[in-house]
Amino acid sequence: MSDNNSKTTAAQGPAYGDEGVGADGPGCAVGLKAADYKSGKRPVWCAGCGDYGVLNSIFNALAELQVDPDNLAVISGIGCSSRLPGYIKTYGFHGAHGRAVPVACGVKVANPALTVLTVGGDGDGFSIGGGHVSHACRRNIDITYIVMDNEIYGLTKGQISPTSPVGARAKSNPYGTVESPVNPMLLVLAYGGTFVARGYASQPKQLVQLLADGMRHKGLSFIHVLSPCVTFNKAAGYDFFKERVQDMPADHKTDDLMGAMRLAADESRFYTGLFYKSDRPEYTEGLRRSGRKLEAPPPVDIEAMIHQFS
Amino acid sequence: MARELLKGNEAVVKGAILAGCRAYYGYPITPASEIAEAAARWMPKVGGVFLQAESEIGAINMVYGAAASGVRVMTASSSPGISLKQEGLSYCAGAELPLVLVDVMRGGPGLGNIAPEQADYFQVVKGGGHGSYRLIVVAPNSVQEMCDLTMLAFELADTYRNPACVLTDGYIGQMMEPCSFPTPVTVLPNKPWAVGPGAERRDNLVSSIFLESDALEGHIHHMFRKYAECEKREVRYEEYKLDDAEHVVIGYGIVSRLLKSAVDMARAQGVKVGLLRPITLWPFPTERIRALAEKVENFLVAELSMGQMVEDVRLAVDGRRPVSFHGRVGGNVPTPDDLVQEILKLQGVTHG
Repeated sequence: MSDNNSKTTAAQGPAYGDEGVGADGPGCAVGLKAADYKSGKRPVWCAGCGDYGVLNSIFNALAELQVDPDNLAVISGIGCSSRLPGYIKTYGFHGAHGRAVPVACGVKVANPALTVLTVGGDGDGFSIGGGHVSHACRRNIDITYIVMDNEIYGLTKGQISPTSPVGARAKSNPYGTVESPVNPMLLVLAYGGTFVARGYASQPKQLVQLLADGMRHKGLSFIHVLSPCVTFNKAAGYDFFKERVQDMPADHKTDDLMGAMRLAADESRFYTGLFYKSDRPEYTEGLRRSGRKLEAPPPVDIEAMIHQFS
Repeated sequence: MARELLKGNEAVVKGAILAGCRAYYGYPITPASEIAEAAARWMPKVGGVFLQAESEIGAINMVYGAAASGVRVMTASSSPGISLKQEGLSYCAGAELPLVLVDVMRGGPGLGNIAPEQADYFQVVKGGGHGSYRLIVVAPNSVQEMCDLTMLAFELADTYRNPACVLTDGYIGQMMEPCSFPTPVTVLPNKPWAVGPGAERRDNLVSSIFLESDALEGHIHHMFRKYAECEKREVRYEEYKLDDAEHVVIGYGIVSRLLKSAVDMARAQGVKVGLLRPITLWPFPTERIRALAEKVENFLVAELSMGQMVEDVRLAVDGRRPVSFHGRVGGNVPTPDDLVQEILKLQGVTHG
């Protein structure tokens, strides 16, 4: 890349071994307000789309943590919700369909000082990109993955998604789908995500807290956000979720994986809040401990190394 | 013969059903989604199956399996989705499996946009997957041909036991025109190589692996003997006002319709120009273009790309005559007036 600017250098230089940067540290800029994170671009989403609520909550969570926009990258795949990086005034990446998670992992591992947000929809994350999520979780790479779940493909104008319920009708399933949906929460819990939470687009106070806590967490944070599509999925609108959304039981312990799975598996309602949190070692730190002393590589005679077999 | 007003993307599915296709695996993408949606509506009505796969890669591998089991099967997508299917296509070609793929081309590279382009010629006609293989490629320029050439693609795929592609663009896919429906195919070819059904096929194994160098070389030579037959027999093209032409314009798909208008407009100004429209992009009308190069002054190729098919035209002309190019990209199209201007430039253009 010809664009080898100072940000790249900063991220690759003192970053290793310096953990007081990004969301975990004090941040560089002071006094940033939620509005300061707005890019000024007008979202293309339909009026009433749940993704507006998610975007606003992200602004507020970033302001709460005073995340320096120069140390923030927002990565997405393809879909309505994947337009989100364009609306945040920071480094954005609008990638390929289903590949947001590996792109984010690539960014984070090479630039561990960055706060990395990964955003996308249920189709992007659990259909075409489903194979990637398990590996990001098991590696426990320190990214915050926000899935805006509307149970439909909106960008292609209404086909069933991997979270559409049995019987859902859409253009690709005019007679009602016979497929069972995936349960993203159960999957991520099973994959080994170390911060697993669910929020709802129209409960901003809770969502901001979950997002901020997720960004603070050292490891893979997964935040499943119920985000209604008012245009193509009228069956799962605000009324539908209002009836089914419920706070986590007060006695749930967030280190209880089996308890979290039981709550995630409850199909009669959508519990919101923090399901599970663990302190399993984070990947980039693990890399460092595994003997790859990236922070202070010993002096190497490149010439001698290249020519050792010649 | 029944006539119906419908979208090109829908005509593809009607043609597929008439050709005996009863299995469709796909994934949503603009501007090809109507093909999947029409298959979702109509396949169950004729006893067929439609499945929305988890990805384009899932879909092409489902097609791989269905083709191996001997049924007529198809998938469709648009440019970025076709990129994802390339691995599967290479495997299907290597395993000599007949299937039909439809590519409703859109703008690229990368996400590009959802507007029409013709910039998949390289990845479809020249082979986007690994290894020595060919796709049989047909290029409709009307809703009627979306139906007819889809049917032809199934015939060619079975005849040569090879994947066939209907290469079209967002204009042809999205436009509505009247379409007459041909007689349904009732007798489907026997496929003794398929994995089932029946005891005599129990030993059949569909595979594309040949670990011994000589075995793989022998297999590839066998495939290319089939391709040589296909090149001999299956070249299709349309000619328009070529008899006395001094200049030849070449374009396929939607561009050929613009070129036809431009030829008429240029002829009204006294320019002796004619159109050659390749209907099969592979096999390509190389011999016809070579023959034209002996008698005309020069060629103009127009595409919705930065120049892809033009390379095959230049190979066919082989330096005998000048070949100029006019391309628009990003979802833009040349107007007939633009093309007339390009045709007028041909006058007086000779070697040197």
